Formats: sequence, structure tokens, C-alpha cells
Amino acid sequence: MSIRLLKYAFIEDHAEPRFFNTPADLKDQYEVIIIGAGGHGLATAYYLARDHGITDIAVLDQSYIGGGNTGRNTTIVRSNYLTAEGVKFYDASVDLFKSLSDELDLNIFYSERGHFTLAHSEATLRTARRRAEVNKHYGVESEVVGPEEVLKACPQIQLDCGGNHEIIGALYHAPGAVARHDAVAWGYARRASQDGVEIHQNTRVTDIDMHGDRVVGVSTTRGKIRANKVISAVAGFTPTVLAMVGLTSPIEIFPLQACVTEPIKPWLDTIIVSGSLHLYVSQSSRGEMVMGASLDPMELHSRRSTFEFVSNLSDQMLDMFPFLSQIKVNRQWAGMADMTPDFAPVMGTAPVEGFYIDAGWGTWGFKATPISGKTMASTVANERDHELITGFNLSRFGDYQLVGEKGAAAIGH
Amino acid sequence: MKYIDFPVLGQRPATEFTVAGVLEPEPAKLVGITAGAWVFNRNSVPVQRQEWWYHAASQLWFIVERDTESDDILGVAVAGEKTDVS
Repeated sequence: MSIRLLKYAFIEDHAEPRFFNTPADLKDQYEVIIIGAGGHGLATAYYLARDHGITDIAVLDQSYIGGGNTGRNTTIVRSNYLTAEGVKFYDASVDLFKSLSDELDLNIFYSERGHFTLAHSEATLRTARRRAEVNKHYGVESEVVGPEEVLKACPQIQLDCGGNHEIIGALYHAPGAVARHDAVAWGYARRASQDGVEIHQNTRVTDIDMHGDRVVGVSTTRGKIRANKVISAVAGFTPTVLAMVGLTSPIEIFPLQACVTEPIKPWLDTIIVSGSLHLYVSQSSRGEMVMGASLDPMELHSRRSTFEFVSNLSDQMLDMFPFLSQIKVNRQWAGMADMTPDFAPVMGTAPVEGFYIDAGWGTWGFKATPISGKTMASTVANERDHELITGFNLSRFGDYQLVGEKGAAAIGH
Repeated sequence: MKYIDFPVLGQRPATEFTVAGVLEPEPAKLVGITAGAWVFNRNSVPVQRQEWWYHAASQLWFIVERDTESDDILGVAVAGEKTDVS
């Protein structure tokens, strides 16, 4: 037993200090309002305070912090993307993640596991080779390996996958990691709050107030607030918020489901992904198998779960790991993913003055949390897109300058 | 499993169908920026709307009216026969 724990048992006041304290009332005006207190919104607030000295910020959330897709993803962090824009951006995120526990003074349980994207066909292997070359060009550890190396890292895997989808190779990405997603949101919230940022939960933005072509504030369920700059970081609610400032985008909302099993002894060190089998799996620090599959097949603005999802996922999972047949699924849930046609995010300045977008995070947003916060903060402070995100601006669709990232998505779509 | 009553087919599981997007008329003039907007932009907010649904086994297209928040099916018709579903 640690001395700290022993001392803790004898003190009368057991309460740990709260992570953040929010004043009861909203002010009439802030310099910056961030809609959405998920990882991205809170990270943006933190870097605005840390890097740019802007602390007169309110982060508003319709519910509680980290309750949207920040707390609903499968916590995978990697940078083995397919485009130059993507690789550079996500690699910068991985770098920030590695030192994030120290930065936030909170253990985010960042755990490098190695990440296998399995290939069951020559076509997938070709994409893997291309990804490996692009990754290496930008200094990211990434290589194509044969089935024997997959088996060495994960002796429990059935390489023939039930006879129909034999594993013929994989893209291996050593820095692939998992992290405790809630801790990322809480850590950013605490540090932002220490710097003077206000976090208001249960405060839904109902409209964005405009004066001509510029944003002047927001209307909320707790009254109107004035602000010079408004950032939308709302994941599955982006089209609704964009409509408030008269913008349209290619973003469409599809549910993405995931589930965990009961905790079992640690056996899976790595992260296994198969786009062809619509499957990704890792083992959490508590021993649960964390599993996800592909998007639901049609647009839906709801977080309902379905039995079809668990049933289809289990079917594929048992082809690969038959010994899991006796393991029970404990929980399942869904998040609303804002999908873009090119599987890259929509970030940065917008055609409306004072309005900034951090959206289009589809099924790939958690891994980008630190770098999104940092680049969005720079974009808002300097009123022009940070150099890492110029390719992700909303204007790329009008200009036909897409950032084709579909081949690097973890899941089949 | 969600089952829906379809004309011609009877009761079928929703998973048998491919949803091919919202039913909306194509604008008369599609050039330049208007064409880009038509190709890419969506209005993905919760709404009741009509959608194209395709059933591969019978090769039939249907017009399905659906609430994109509650996922309730409000009406189904065979495409081409009538678009006024009720």
C-alpha cells in the first residue's frame, strides 16, 4: 500500500479537488465561444489560453463534457494515413499525445500497442503498400508485413478467418496506440479551467446571432451571449449548427456503433483492424475487448443501438478469434458521425466572419484531438488557417480539391 | 431486426435494402459552382423526407418516407407508380 493511500485513509476530507469550477451565471459577453465541450472543443480552449493568451472563453455543451463522440469512440491513435495532408496532420497529433499525460498532469493511459491493418486480398495489400510508402516518406513508422508476423504478434488469430477471408499480409504501424478517452477531455477541461476558461454544461446553443455577414453571439437555452468569434466543435450536430449561419456542407450524419465485452485476462497486445471484415478490436486496460464495425447503412440523427450490429460483428469476430465464443458482450452504444465524401475533416475559417468550423470528424476524430485543438486555436487567434489544415477547409468541395483519405479509414464503408 | 411492409414484397427486413439518398429534383441548370454544390452539399439535419430504397433481390426501387431522427417509416411506394406516398 502506498504511503499516499495510507495517509488518504486517515484524513477526514476525502474529497479530491474538482476538475473544474464553473461560475453559476453566464457572462453577457466573451471573446470566444466554443460550441461543444468534447475533446476538440476543450483542447481548442486550452491551446487558445496556453499559446495565444486568449482566456475570455466560454465552452458550451448541450449535455456534459466528453459525452458525445469523445466518450463513444474506440480510443485508437495512429498516423498511417494515405495523403500528405493526413499523414503530417495525424503524425503531429501522435507526437502531442505522447507527452499529453505530462502536459495535462493527468494519466491518460497512453499505451503504444502496434497497429495491424489486415489485408485479405491483393487489392487491400496494394493500398497497404502505398500507405507504407507515403508514411515512410513523411517519417512515420509503417511497413507491410506477412501473415507470419501477424501471427507472431497475435498467436490467437486464425489466419484463414473461417476459410473465406485468409489473411495474406498487413500494414503494421508500430506507434499505433490506445488512450483513455474520457481522461483526455477531463485533462483539457481542468487545464483550460485553471487558465480562466469557463465550461458551461447543459447549455444548448439554439441559434447563432448574426449582424450582416458576421457572427455577433449565440442564443442559448440560458439566454443570449455576445461574442466576436464562435467555433463549432459539435461532431454529429454540425449540419444543424452550420444551418444557423446559413452554410451548407457535404457532411452527412451516420451512426457508428461499438461495444465491449466482459473483462478477461490480458491476451491481445496489439490493435487489430480489418476493413474487409468491418472489424477493429483492442483490449482495454481493464481487460474488456473494445470492438467496432462499420457505419450504419443510412443517415440517422440518433444514438440508438441495434442487435444487427452486435450479431454481424460477433460473426466476423468469431471467424478471426473462435475462442471468444463464450465471452459475453457487456455494453454497446452508438455515436453520430459526421461523414465527409473524402473521409478528411472540415476545419478552419468559414465564409462567415467570426465563425470557425472543426467538423467532419466522421469515424477518425479522437486521434486528432490534440492537434485539432492546437491548429484551431492558431486559426482563431490569427484569423487564418494554420498551415497543417489549409487542405481541410470547407472551400475544397467548391474547388474540387478533395483530400482522398477513404483508403486509410479503419473500417469498410 | 426491423421489418417493414413493402408493396409487392410484403414484410421484409430493412437490412435487405440499399438506401440511395434523398429524393429531390435535379436543378435545371448545373454549371460551375452550382454543380459543385449540387454534387457535394447535403442538408443533413433531422427531418421527415422521401428516400430512394433499392431491393437487389427483386430489382425494385421504392420511395420510402422516413423520419431521420426517430427512424420511423412513414410510407412506402414502388418508384415510378406514384411518388405521393401515404
